[in-house]
Parts: sequence; structure tokens; C-alpha cells
Amino acid sequence: MSLKIVVCIKQVPVSNNLKIDPITKNLIRSGESGVMNPYDKNAIEAALRLKDEWGGEVILLSMGPADFEMTLRQGMAMGCDDAILLSSRKFGGADTLATGYVLAQAIKKLGKVDLVLLGRQSVDADTSQVGPIVSEFLGWPQITFVSELTGHAKKGMTATRLLENMQQKIEFQLPAVVTVRSEMNEPRYPTPRNIQQSYKKNIRIWDENSLSVDPNRIGLKGSPTVVRSVWAPIKEAKHTIYLKGTPDEAVRELLIQMRASNLL
Amino acid sequence: MTDQEIWVYAEKHVGMIQPVTYQLITKAKEIANDKKVVVILFEATDKNLEEKIKEFGPNEIVVVKDDRLKDATDSEIASLMAELADRRKPNSILFGATVVGRSIAPRLQAKLNTGLTSDCLNLAFDDDLLIQTKPSYGDNIMCEIVCPKHRPQMASVRPNTFEAKKDLNQSVIVTKINDLFFKKAERIKIIEETPLLSKSDSIANADRVIALGRGAADEKAVRLAEELARKLGAKIGVTRPLTDHPKFSGDDQIGQSGNTIAPKLLVNLGVHGAVQYTTGIGSAELVVSIDKDPEAPIFNYSNYSYVGDSVSFLESFLKVIQ
Ligand SMILES: Cc1cc2nc3c(=O)[nH]c(=O)nc-3n(C[C@H](O)[C@H](O)[C@H](O)COP(=O)(O)OP(=O)(O)OC[C@H]3O[C@@H](n4cnc5c(N)ncnc54)[C@H](O)[C@@H]3O)c2cc1C
Ligand SMILES: Nc1ncnc2c1ncn2[C@@H]1O[C@H](COP(=O)(O)O)[C@@H](O)[C@H]1O
Repeated sequence: MSLKIVVCIKQVPVSNNLKIDPITKNLIRSGESGVMNPYDKNAIEAALRLKDEWGGEVILLSMGPADFEMTLRQGMAMGCDDAILLSSRKFGGADTLATGYVLAQAIKKLGKVDLVLLGRQSVDADTSQVGPIVSEFLGWPQITFVSELTGHAKKGMTATRLLENMQQKIEFQLPAVVTVRSEMNEPRYPTPRNIQQSYKKNIRIWDENSLSVDPNRIGLKGSPTVVRSVWAPIKEAKHTIYLKGTPDEAVRELLIQMRASNLL
Repeated sequence: MTDQEIWVYAEKHVGMIQPVTYQLITKAKEIANDKKVVVILFEATDKNLEEKIKEFGPNEIVVVKDDRLKDATDSEIASLMAELADRRKPNSILFGATVVGRSIAPRLQAKLNTGLTSDCLNLAFDDDLLIQTKPSYGDNIMCEIVCPKHRPQMASVRPNTFEAKKDLNQSVIVTKINDLFFKKAERIKIIEETPLLSKSDSIANADRVIALGRGAADEKAVRLAEELARKLGAKIGVTRPLTDHPKFSGDDQIGQSGNTIAPKLLVNLGVHGAVQYTTGIGSAELVVSIDKDPEAPIFNYSNYSYVGDSVSFLESFLKVIQ
């Protein structure tokens, strides 16, 4: 049994503390390039563990501008075998539907993929849509928000999926799409050897001509959603009353208020 | 008109409709104008969950009853929804931004080739256009998103963002549908669904919450907080750093990557008030915070503030309510 695993990863801003330009109302992006979406590291770790157990290869896949290469190198430094960057002007402005479509077409082109892993969500867009969209386009089972993955790559695997206050056990057979929670594992650090190796490896760049894609389904054109405006939410400070004195005094004052609000 | 329906997907687990479903019905009614609010319910033949849903007064409940729906997978539900949507062409479809809602909705989106905005904090209509307000960059930025050229318009909404209100005056049509093609999903089977034992009552639905941050993480603070929680009938929630504590996990976490809570009473102990935390407590009614740092931003989100030590405050609280 040798597995061909694809991990979809995304680069996100270093910090979520973005500002809005008060005049142009545009997002001010800092000059810093990004980091790997944290949940995607858990997805890579899951892939590497399966590779260690069953053999095979782990291929990283990312759609984005040229500087996403940095994140792909970082993933290879963790021990992944190969990386593909889907990059083209034509892919720009994609929402989740167009992103999922292009990723799925790339996975089809790779052929004979057994498992696609993604992070549970990206921490900038925060949508968690891309995984299920890729599954639909591939026509494969999807198991999202998975915290545990066990079983036999050939005979069948079992996933534990954490819902808000429930837990599901799901049995499935490959090929499938799985999105990974941070509870699943502790991502490994790159080793010096793997870091060195990663710089020897070639990152393949695919554009719309390398893939079989419908030009109306990619980039801005293929994106049904439109962002009409962005703003920084105004956080209305509550009018706070300071409780004074010793803790006993403060608690007594609080209890008076709690009784008034029928909380006691 | 057939395209003037707002659909709400009824999410259920172990025979219980999830509260977010009722919240969505109430919100949809508020913004509907002359559109109809239609709940889509899939259930096994021995269930009658439509009776519960009726209390919240949608215009119509579409019920698909089939014993294969007992343990249907997300992709099967998405296929059935797609079939229904092809027939009735709704204007929009709403889901709870739960783990399951966030799995079914995008699969359905891809089938219907339309837009989806996930994790919305507000919805409104501008004529037939659904205006969807969604946070991004960890709730630091708000975006207004629309889907002008595709139908249906799809959105998922964060639980506890809206309040559910019963409406017993509305006459509710119940439409049973039994001629959908049930496309069995291959290679996947849900073999069990169990409530998480200690979490059978999630903090998301608790009326009273005591939240512990890094300033109330030692053994003594946790023990006293548990005692106070028992006395007040409260649940304990935590900030993200405390999810590493052996007693707590991600399910207890409040905030952007945890639970959004809406209790009547929230007591924060040693919680600094990072924006990723405070986005989860916007709907709490009475907020009381104790922190030793007078500059802690949590005080800006509190009705009552006390600058002091969390353990001493807990000790006093337990003593005074004896
Ligand atoms: C993408 C992303 C998502 C995140 N999501 C979440 C989330 O969902 N939820 C979340 O909580 N965090 C989240 N975080 C982390 C968040 O930014 C903060 O780091 C976290 O909330 C801080 O937790 P804290 O207030 O317990 O700890 P600290 O920031 O360390 O604050 C501890 C507080 O305790 C006070 N204190 C210390 N000792 C005492 C004492 N003896 N008595 C009284 N007060 C005392 C201190 O003055 C301080 O104010 C996220 C971060 C990122 C980057
Ligand atoms: N541009 C992209 N390229 C590759 N993978 C992506 C991209 N965007 C999102 N993903 C993957 O999809 C997951 C969910 O992202 P999102 O739907 O944006 O929350 C991420 O954790 C990544 O694994």
C-alpha cells in the first residue's frame, strides 16, 4: 500500500490586526509576507504520519501569488515530497467556489490521489468552505472537523468528528477529503536536513493553461460573491461600574445588583 | 412567486432541533418583508420534530421523512437539498454556522454553483438581495458580502447571534415530500453519534457562565470556580490558553475559534479581554470581570469590574453567598 496524499495549504497574514485606511476605506496590508495557516500544519502532520505508516508521497498544493512559495517551502521542510503552486493572474480575486474548483481540477490532473487533507478553516477568511467544495467537485466523501484519524488505509478508516456538543464516529474508504482540527496532532518542526532538502526541491507552478479549467469558473469571473464594503467594527465599550473596597465588599455590592437583575 | 422563499435548514442531533434553527427562523421572519420563511426538515419516520418547529411560526415546514435519514451524511443531505432547491428555486438558504452547517452548506453551494457566506453576524434584505455581514481576520474586520448574479443566496449564521422568539399566532403549513431521489453516499457511514459526556450541556446554551483565563488557572482558582459554578448553576468556560489544562478542552473555549455564548450572567476571572475572546461574549447580558490589571481591556466589555485577585474574589463570593 502506498498512498498519494495531497495537502491543500494557504498562506495567511502574520497578524490579524489589520487596519482600515480611514480615507480610502481599503485594508492596509503590512509589507510582511505571510505564514502558513496554522490548521494546515495539522493537516500536513496528519499526512506525514499516514505516509510513515503506509508509505507513499505527500504533495502540497496551494493557489495564490508567487510569494506563497515561502509557505510551500516551509511545508516541504516538514518532510513533504513535492509542492505545486497554482498561480496566475487569471486565478486572482477567487472566492471559495472558484478556489475549490481550481484545487479540484489540479487534484484531478495529478491523478490517482488517495486522500486530500485540508485545514478545518483558514484564519483570515475563516470560511471552512474550501474542503467541502473540493469534495463535491471530486465526488468524494467528505469528513470535516476531524480530531482523530485511525484505521487501515486500504480496508477502511475511522474518523472522530467533534461537533459543538456531540461526537461522531465515521467510517470511510479512500479516496476521500478530510479537514483537520488542531486537536488531531502536534505538528512537527522542520529538521535541518529537511530544510536543506526543501531548497533542492523544485516547486512546480501551474497556471490555467496547465489545467483543464473552464475560464468562466476561475478567478473573479468564477466567483459568485462580491465584497461590497469592509470596515473595522466599532467596539462600543460598556459603561462599567467599578466595584470598590475589599473582595468581601465588592462581592456584597455585586450581589445587590444580581438580586436586582433577578440573577439570585 | 416561487423564488421568494427564505429557507432555513433545520439542524438536529439525537432527536433535538438545534437552537440556532429557531434563531434563524425568527431572524428570517424579521427581515422577510413579503417573502415566505420555509424550514426544511429531514427526519426518520418515527419523529415529529415539525411540531417543535411550528412554535416559532415559519410560514411553511417542508418535511422529508425517510428512515435512511437517521444517520444521513452531510453529502446526502446536500444532495436532497439540491433536488428540493431545483424544484422550488428559493431566494436564499440559511444554515447555522455549526460544524455540520459548515459542511453541508458549501457542498450544496458547489452543487448549485452559487455563493455562500459563512459565519455571518447579520443579515438584511435590500429588495431581493441578501446583505450578509461577515467578520474576517479574526473578527478584526467586518465585510458586507452579496451574491448579485446567482441564486439561491446562501449564508451560515453564527449560533446565538440572533434571539429565537416563539410565535404561536402564525398558521404553519406542513408539506410532506416523499418523492425525492435518495442518492446514497458511497464509501462513508456515520456509525455513531454521541453527546460529549461532560459537555452534554454546552456553554453556548448556558444561562450562566464563569469564564477562567490565565489569571485564574491554578488548581485553587479552578476548584473554587467549580464550587461557585455549582452554587450558581453556572457552566465553566475558558480562554484559549486554558484549553491545555487537563480539565478543559477546545469545547470549553469561548471566543472566535471557540464558542459564542449568550448567558444572562458572565463572570470573567483573570481574563485579559483579547479581541478573539471578546467576540464570543458580545451577547452576554450582565458581565462581571475581575482582573488584577486595571488596564485590562476586559473591563470595557463589563457592566461591573473589580481590580483585584481572582482567588480572593472567589473566596469572598463563596463566603458571602453561604
Ligand atoms: C487566530 C486566533 C484565534 C484565537 N481565538 C481565541 C479564542 O477563541 N478564545 C480565546 O480566549 N483566545 C483566542 N485567541 C488567543 C487570544 O488572542 C489571547 O491570547 C487569549 O484570549 C488570552 O487569554 P487570557 O486572557 O486567559 O490570558 P492573558 O492574556 O495572559 O491574560 C491573563 C489576565 O489575567 C490577569 N491576572 C493574572 N493573574 C491574576 C490574578 N491572580 N488575579 C486576577 N487577574 C489576574 C492578567 O492581568 C491578565 O489580564 C486566539 C488567537 C488567535 C491568533
Ligand atoms: N488558496 C488556497 N490554496 C490551497 N488551499 C486552500 C486555499 N484556500 C483555502 N485552502 C484550504 O482550505 C482550508 C479551509 O479554508 P477556508 O475555506 O478559506 O476557511 C484551508 O485550511 C486550506 O487547507
